[in-house]
Amino acid sequence: MNDDRYKGYREPCLGLLQRFDVGVWYEVRVTTREGSFEGLLLPRSVTSDAHHIVLKLTTGYNVGLRCDTIVEMQQIGYREAHYKIPEQEFPVSRDKPRVKLLGTGGTIASRLDYRTGAVIPAFSPGELYGSVPELAEICNLETDKLFGVFSENMGPEQYLVLAETIGQTIEEGYAGIVVGHGTDTMHHTAAALSFMVQDPPVPIVMVGSQRSSDRPSSDAAQNLINATWAAATGDIAEVMVCMFGPTSDQYNLLHRGTRVRKMHSSYRSTFRTLGDIPLAMVDDGVITHLKDDYRPRRDDRRVKVQPAFEEKVSLLYYYPNMQADMVDALVERGYKGIVLAGTGLGHVNRTLYPALRRAHEAGVVVFMTLQTLWGFVQMHVYETGREILELGVVPLANMLPEVAYIKLGWALGMHPDDPARVVELMTTSIAGEMTEREPHDGYLVFQGGVPEIQDFLQQVWK
Amino acid sequence: MASASDLNRPHLLPPSDINPRTDAPLDFPDRGFGALTADDYRVLGFMSGLEVHQQLATARKLFCRCPAGIRVDHFDTEVLRHMRPTLSELGEYDGCALMEFKTRKEIVYQLERGTVCTYEIDDTPPFEINPEAVEIAIEVAQLFHLNLVQELHVMRKQYLDGSIPTGFQRTAMVGLDGEIPFVDKELGIDRPLRIRQLSLEEDSCREISDIGHRIVFRTDRLGTPLTEVVTEPEMLSPLELQAAARLVARTTRASGRVRRGAGAARQDVNVSIAGGRRIEIKGVSHHKGLPLLVHNEAYRQLNLLRIREELRRRGVQPQWFILPPGNGDAEESDGVLDATAILSGCDFAPLRDSLDAGESALAVRLRGFKGLLLHRTQPGVTFANEFADRVRVIACLTARPFLIHSDIEGYGLEHALWSQLHKALQCEEQDAMIVVWGPRRDLDTAVREIFIRAKDALIGVPAETRQAFPDGTNGFERILPGVDRMYPDTDTPPVPIDDALVERIRLELPERPWEKTRRCISLGLPPDAIDRLLDAPWCKLFDQLQAEGAVAQRITYALEKRLPHWWREWGHRELPSAERLRPWAKALADGEVHPQACEAILDRLLRESDRPAEEIVAAYRSSEGDEKELAELLESIERDCAFLRVKEIEPALRWAMGRLMAAFKGKRTPEELRERAVKALASGGVQ
Repeated sequence: MNDDRYKGYREPCLGLLQRFDVGVWYEVRVTTREGSFEGLLLPRSVTSDAHHIVLKLTTGYNVGLRCDTIVEMQQIGYREAHYKIPEQEFPVSRDKPRVKLLGTGGTIASRLDYRTGAVIPAFSPGELYGSVPELAEICNLETDKLFGVFSENMGPEQYLVLAETIGQTIEEGYAGIVVGHGTDTMHHTAAALSFMVQDPPVPIVMVGSQRSSDRPSSDAAQNLINATWAAATGDIAEVMVCMFGPTSDQYNLLHRGTRVRKMHSSYRSTFRTLGDIPLAMVDDGVITHLKDDYRPRRDDRRVKVQPAFEEKVSLLYYYPNMQADMVDALVERGYKGIVLAGTGLGHVNRTLYPALRRAHEAGVVVFMTLQTLWGFVQMHVYETGREILELGVVPLANMLPEVAYIKLGWALGMHPDDPARVVELMTTSIAGEMTEREPHDGYLVFQGGVPEIQDFLQQVWK
Repeated sequence: MASASDLNRPHLLPPSDINPRTDAPLDFPDRGFGALTADDYRVLGFMSGLEVHQQLATARKLFCRCPAGIRVDHFDTEVLRHMRPTLSELGEYDGCALMEFKTRKEIVYQLERGTVCTYEIDDTPPFEINPEAVEIAIEVAQLFHLNLVQELHVMRKQYLDGSIPTGFQRTAMVGLDGEIPFVDKELGIDRPLRIRQLSLEEDSCREISDIGHRIVFRTDRLGTPLTEVVTEPEMLSPLELQAAARLVARTTRASGRVRRGAGAARQDVNVSIAGGRRIEIKGVSHHKGLPLLVHNEAYRQLNLLRIREELRRRGVQPQWFILPPGNGDAEESDGVLDATAILSGCDFAPLRDSLDAGESALAVRLRGFKGLLLHRTQPGVTFANEFADRVRVIACLTARPFLIHSDIEGYGLEHALWSQLHKALQCEEQDAMIVVWGPRRDLDTAVREIFIRAKDALIGVPAETRQAFPDGTNGFERILPGVDRMYPDTDTPPVPIDDALVERIRLELPERPWEKTRRCISLGLPPDAIDRLLDAPWCKLFDQLQAEGAVAQRITYALEKRLPHWWREWGHRELPSAERLRPWAKALADGEVHPQACEAILDRLLRESDRPAEEIVAAYRSSEGDEKELAELLESIERDCAFLRVKEIEPALRWAMGRLMAAFKGKRTPEELRERAVKALASGGVQ
């Protein structure tokens, strides 16, 4: 009770509120040495300091008053907050495909409580219909909230549940699956699902938002609409990420789950396909295929679900002067597999050689990927590379480091005591994580300022 | 004091937008601006207030490190966005809200690398709030005697019009409830001007064009820090409002750390009359146009109230104008007709061309509105414009004209067609009709907006935000945003305001305008000069020269005359430093140069910027050698006269004075020079 009445307030503000017998949601007149203020006493964020109380003025502004300037507080009214999202029944029509939306905790849609500033997630079909009514024109939507975790807290435990749920959902006959996910680790989960759910008959589309859905400029609705189109009617039956193409509100891109990476901390167009071109563009129901080597949608309900994950796996980002004990420590702590993100064509310094040898001898599988992100590991070109190969380090072609990390966790989970099988699995492309060829336009990082790029930017939506 | 049980209910309400007087003065005579006295406006129940926006002269923007105050006319690239109403903005989504979203606008932002970064286009979260801007805002708040808050909370204020790419403006409350002395002898005002609040906000984009479904903005000024000062709505006549606007602007500018020039200060005004409602008119950049603007708005409200009265008399009911919620099917409703077939081939060129181009036309029946669409609302503006404005803005019909109505005779559609529509719509005698045409996808919205405006006519003055036009009239800008459009910015932490900072600013607080007026009076400046000086960019420069009495007057006249002249000539607006002008002021004060040289010295100080000030002033300073030099010059004049056999005194004297003044201006008075010249000429034989 007291917790609620003084929500978020600590000493010295707490004592002050108690002394004047006021709590949160009280309308108060506060007399301070700076003059008097009237407003609604709001809860205090626990991450803010302990010395200010927060009032919401009638104009909607919040202001903070420092408690040592407060002379008196007087209750003049009370206004309770109501957290509720208006719900409307999601319209069902016989001729529309069924799509299942699985929630992991990111807020795809939400509404704000203007009084408190709280973001209330919208997730049930009724709530979603209230926020993104266009969904009803695409499909009959059903939802299932699996977890409530932030993107950075997604891990193996969730991957396994997600993979199994997707397997069941496919068997239940849905036309497609959308997975709502925070963007930070979306590409990790996309990779995990690519390996754990192989050869699905329907699209599995991951989606999130870079700008929260409580703002008018949010990318959330467009992302969700386009992801739902891809899941409901798209022909690509793979694990994909569906996010903004350019930063402009234009079209979304469908990225293969094993070739996609978040490349900017905050841009809308943060997800990019690396070392290849995206699978398709989606623009409000129109799906334009860019690649033809994808797995098409099937009518059957067959799918290979293989949920497994070994947690003692690490991704080691190499830097000059890395010391051998970095590798030794992992081996000593019982790690079973290491993915190196090496420099250039796949190199590390000599100092690491003895440690890598010790790891190999201890049965720890070690793989090489590239911190350049684009390009192939080529360990035969330089002597360094050849030496490292001799230490038992296995090159992984153009597999992205994060994808290699996830795949190794999965492979070791599948074959805990069989390093040879693990190596075989790692070096065989399962879901496009290694490609045989890199197209010339698989690497495009334009440089601003160059005249021809300036011309280009004048003519296209960025 | 409320009783205990009473305390369990909400009590605090936002400021009301309804005029406290509900008795609409319907019989008040129609008169133009200038023909009404302050007492007349009292009868009207005129009330108005101000929101004054003033850009701050910071080096950088408010929430990112882009330079502030740079205006560019080119761009490197464009970004396309849409604004999507968030749920709370509209309460709940319904068919209507969805439909409005479908006729949405494409919003284009033009970006120039030097003036915007990824923050402005909402691709990077805000950086720490600019401390320089916070300092200036605190200073300005103190100038207005406001109660300062002790912790700034950045809020998001929603704008769906696209003027800010995020869809909201970041804004923080700095101070509340202050007052400043408001004295105007001419208007008979001597009372405090109450200030409701001051907030620190980021500026929005500059609109470049708004055609159909596409609106284009330039982003250079986006994010520039500005203060918004809101007065209580206590100005009771247009001239009083203008005086208050000047006072607020002066007080803000007193800090000396605000931007000047085009667009740096803009105000919104709110106006209501008895029976009316507070209408906000945006974007007035000059004080000069304020009185006419609010006068016209007062009459617009009066006229809308008269229309309401007539509709009530006719028994018109609001439920006649409610369309069922739907999607693109307005023409299936009662009172709406697809008139494309009837009207194709009509003689009215704009309509015929539209239909020929494959567009459509809908006819709408307005029950009980006959004759009212021609009712005047503003000078040169009829009630029909209220409908057209709304349709233009919300349904994005921009080809002109896009509607015509049945009250107009002798123009547009021929009588027979109106009769045909009248019959097809099952109209009665008292009804009016509107025909609207354009792309089919926009007409449903157009018809809905026509019905909404018709229904609002029964309210009288609907809640709207309006925009000021240069001719003193105003037009619909957008629906008034909901009251709940403000919510905390989750991207920025609260910012505590340090007591020491507040105290330091308090100690260094510049003079307030009324204090300055008092001081200027004591310096001996005449009232009109003070008035001009307070608004002048060289006000601070004048202070720095520390002049008094007659010299102060001379200096302020010289500055206001010569500086603008120099600026025009040189094409820039730079102020000279006080250092540069100090020897000039000092020489004037010490009586070392004659007042006649005042402007000439200033001119040279401005133009000959590479010559030391002392050297320029010295040329005008009287010295011991002057007398000898003067005597020589007089002798030479005398000789020349004798040589040329000049006989007539007047031309000779003019010629002589020309030479003497050129050499001795500032050193000797013209009277003395004239006297000496007359003597010299006399000895040269000129009488």
